[in-house]
Amino acid sequence: MTPSETFESELTQLLPRLRRFAFALSRNGADADDLAQATIERALRSRDQWQPGSRLDSWLYRIMRNLWIDTVRSRGRREKHEAPEDAAQDVGEDPREAMDASMELQRAMSAMERLPDEQREVVALILIEGFGYREVSEMLELPIGTVSSRLVRGRTALLEMLGGNADG
Amino acid sequence: MVEEEKFFAWLDGELPADEAARVETEVAADPRSSQLAEDHRKMAAGLRGAFAKVEAQPVPERLAGIVSQERGKVVDLAEARERRLHRKPPSLWVQMGALAATLVVGIITGNLLTGGVPSPIGAEGGRLVASAELEDALYARLASMPADSGPRIGLTFRDKTGTICRTFKEQATSGLACREGGDWRIRNLYQPPEGQTSDYRMASGQDPQLMEAVEASIDGEPFDAEQERSAMEQGWR
Repeated sequence: MTPSETFESELTQLLPRLRRFAFALSRNGADADDLAQATIERALRSRDQWQPGSRLDSWLYRIMRNLWIDTVRSRGRREKHEAPEDAAQDVGEDPREAMDASMELQRAMSAMERLPDEQREVVALILIEGFGYREVSEMLELPIGTVSSRLVRGRTALLEMLGGNADG
Repeated sequence: MVEEEKFFAWLDGELPADEAARVETEVAADPRSSQLAEDHRKMAAGLRGAFAKVEAQPVPERLAGIVSQERGKVVDLAEARERRLHRKPPSLWVQMGALAATLVVGIITGNLLTGGVPSPIGAEGGRLVASAELEDALYARLASMPADSGPRIGLTFRDKTGTICRTFKEQATSGLACREGGDWRIRNLYQPPEGQTSDYRMASGQDPQLMEAVEASIDGEPFDAEQERSAMEQGWR
């Protein structure tokens, strides 16, 4: 396989994970797939900037995260984030949702969306994507202490919204 | 009760073995902590479970198709890289790569920075200050603003003396500038060793030395988008 074919093959294998990250960052599935598409296009255009031997997944996540930040902020979205207590009430606790996979995803996305952007990206990368603190610190160019404290705030708010016990 | 960030670092498997064992014992001895650990484990598992459904879905053709179409016009990575290197004339920053990896205030002299080429940094009274383009970016550019050319701003924060500092990145070079006496003074400037330059915004990671410099001087946390905007409106005071 040529380096180019290797790149495309690895990129293809990473598409399901990239989509998952896009869903964790976005408001809805359509926005998520737009973000995934923009990321793939940017990655293919910039493929010569990826250094073989370095992790392709981190590079792709980084592109996606930067595109997401640009989109969210240029959209001029300045929503006041609700306090976790209010958000918890908004998300609600409908036992039927647990039975329905798409509703469960919608509920998780809705809770993620209520987190401030800074917390959402850290929660998505660590709790959902499974990256380590150090990897996320390098990916987001943040001190590790900042990553850790944003993660604490984000997951604490999520626990209030989603609950830890199955019975709520 | 275990200190909060340590508790979660333990929960995430981020602590060294001996420390993790200590925290585990403490958590086991405290019913509140044990319950909290269980709640967070369940919540995180639920979250992963919900998003795992996305990963399990077939990738829509509109996405998979982009990559497969690309196969028709295969570009050799090495060739593409070669073309790019020859396309862009080396900037002053890259030329400075011949210098040591870390350049600290005061080491660069005025002579080194001039030579007819407009420089993003300059020397003033023996100190390193931002030149016009970098000054403009530091003064008027928010981290969220797309920067198609010129320096890109990273973090903004207050250091332990209360001074506002901002990290910036210009191609492979990154640095830390702080607002002192009405100027942006360059406190640190970093450049990867020659031959390891990486691209603007696409680098696989930030210069770890810059992150160390930030961690050593930061008071609290970096500004969020609102704090950054507000600091700009107040003239970075």
